[in-house]
Amino acid sequence: MELVQDYYATLGVPPTASEEDLRTAYRLAARRFHPDVNRSPGAAIIFRDINAAYELLSNRQRRSEYDQVAHAATAPPSLRVETYYSRQFLKPMSEPQLVYALVKITPELEVSLTSDAPMNLCLVLDRSTSMKGPRLQHLKSAVHRIIDECRPQDHLSVVAFSDKAEVLVPAQHPTDPRMIKALVSTMRPDGATAMLQGLREGLRQIERNRDTRYVNHVILITDGRTYGDEEDCLRLARDAHERGVGISGMGIGEDWNDQFLDNLASITGGSSTYIISPNMVSRFLHERIRSLSTAYAERARLITAPATNVDLNSVMRISPNPMALAATPQPIPLGTIDGLSPTSLMLQFHVVTQDAPLGEFYIGRADVSAEVLGSTQRAERIVEDLSITISEDDVDEDPPAELLDALSKLVLYRLQDRAREAIASGNIAEGTRKLEYLATRLFENGQEDLAQAALHEKENVLSTHTLSDEGAKRLKYGTRALLPLLGDGKND
Amino acid sequence: MIECPYCQHRMMEGALFCEECGLSLWEDSQTHVSTRKLEDGNSEFSVKSGWGTATFQDRNQVIIHIRDAAEPVTINPLGEFLMGRKDSSSGIAPDLDLTPHGALEKGVSRMHAMLRKGEEILSIIDLDSANGTYLNGQRLVAHQPRVLRDGDEIRLGRLVLHIYFK
Repeated sequence: MELVQDYYATLGVPPTASEEDLRTAYRLAARRFHPDVNRSPGAAIIFRDINAAYELLSNRQRRSEYDQVAHAATAPPSLRVETYYSRQFLKPMSEPQLVYALVKITPELEVSLTSDAPMNLCLVLDRSTSMKGPRLQHLKSAVHRIIDECRPQDHLSVVAFSDKAEVLVPAQHPTDPRMIKALVSTMRPDGATAMLQGLREGLRQIERNRDTRYVNHVILITDGRTYGDEEDCLRLARDAHERGVGISGMGIGEDWNDQFLDNLASITGGSSTYIISPNMVSRFLHERIRSLSTAYAERARLITAPATNVDLNSVMRISPNPMALAATPQPIPLGTIDGLSPTSLMLQFHVVTQDAPLGEFYIGRADVSAEVLGSTQRAERIVEDLSITISEDDVDEDPPAELLDALSKLVLYRLQDRAREAIASGNIAEGTRKLEYLATRLFENGQEDLAQAALHEKENVLSTHTLSDEGAKRLKYGTRALLPLLGDGKND
Repeated sequence: MIECPYCQHRMMEGALFCEECGLSLWEDSQTHVSTRKLEDGNSEFSVKSGWGTATFQDRNQVIIHIRDAAEPVTINPLGEFLMGRKDSSSGIAPDLDLTPHGALEKGVSRMHAMLRKGEEILSIIDLDSANGTYLNGQRLVAHQPRVLRDGDEIRLGRLVLHIYFK
């Protein structure tokens, strides 16, 4: 889909700007994002866009064409981007200071919140020997429930895989649920986990009805590791992402490779989930598909870069499905924008204010784009310039509650992550200390079960020098699950 | 730079949480009040997002919540207050005997730790106990007093206590 760019927003000027205004804005932007002065990964893309915008708008004839045709036809975006800062006022200081920015993406209130866009969904199911028993039983009944919940406009396909893949349900509208359920029921446990086979067949099923008006998505459910073809799977995921297909992963039990599944999902902006016990499969699968069926926009992405005297230290998705996002390559895929709950990101900046003049201080840019689904289908792009104020005064300000909430949970996820890193690198003392801290904070947050799990893992690490597979996953996905519960009230 | 009052980790100006131990560095008067609902059934794990006060006046009492115990213990520490496990053979009788709370299985020493009231503060001292005293998850160095704050978690061996000021 053609991504309509608002060239005025890209340059940061109003449509009434004079030629002189354009020139000034362009020079300023070039000073901020020229790749010679700004090495951050997003800067090159932002600079390229700024250049394109200036090139067009500085040409009188092309500008007037653009004003009359493209810009006039572009309705204001129906997606809203809001930014909350941990502090709005910073003092001049030689040492770097920390500023958190919570960037929240929601549909505008006036528009209908969900698009009712059809789903083009493929379930790719592991039926290897280890799935035998309750895992497969619960999986089948979870899929039966999904079949009942699919709407007439949706496309559904089901692929089972072990050593090789087979199409249980070829892509179709769920007009005959009984027949589809019967096909799913034929699945028997047997063989090993060859994920590449399953993923490839699943994507093939998606391809048959792939359409930019749909939510095209593969959900992969597994309980094991795939050997030797992880790289190929990631390549398939990158390819799927290019074609606008999302992938989500769900792991049952403790033997699957969570880092791999996280990677696989994050390449497309999808999500990954840990299913502790088989009887939870239905709930998680239902919840994931619910959020796809209430999608407002698809193929969302973020381009971000700090200003030259600022560092962008980390980018974390807070909701849905919290995870650290890699700042390279850019654009960063964000996947589906749910119409019912906000998509929010936490950016952490390190700012040096010393030589900056008092007053407004530019931190950087967040450029969000997505394809809005439904009858008003179109690409939208919102350029959000982030800035705070430098002041000598003592300003007494409270961080926004929503940002504070998200950070308080994020800190738990990070503690878990750093404990895991320390233990993996053999630093047992450091790792167990972090687990203790984690347990303490979890108790304070009323998360007694998780806190006990952290203490249990600490003991485990002391005796075995390694985290248990189950404990590591529990802490990771447990602390992660704390995050999206917050800020659910979409309109504050 | 700012320093975490809990683990002494140094961080950038503007940090809202300690990146080392996860402590909230942001104190908000409103959340502070809501942390002290001692009457609530669930108070043992009530959310404590602030950092409790360290000020302990003469008129203050200490409420000790013992994990899994039905009733909290309220004490008026005058000078020193010994916590441990009663042992008639050696004649040790602590001010707070934790035997009814599974002290033996949970590795509480006979003379485990002491609360000491000072000038407007209350501190805790580990008495070189076999399994250690932990303040909010951090093991104390024996015989070195540490200042207690309202809402702190203390662990004697594996027995968990929460301290509240009243």
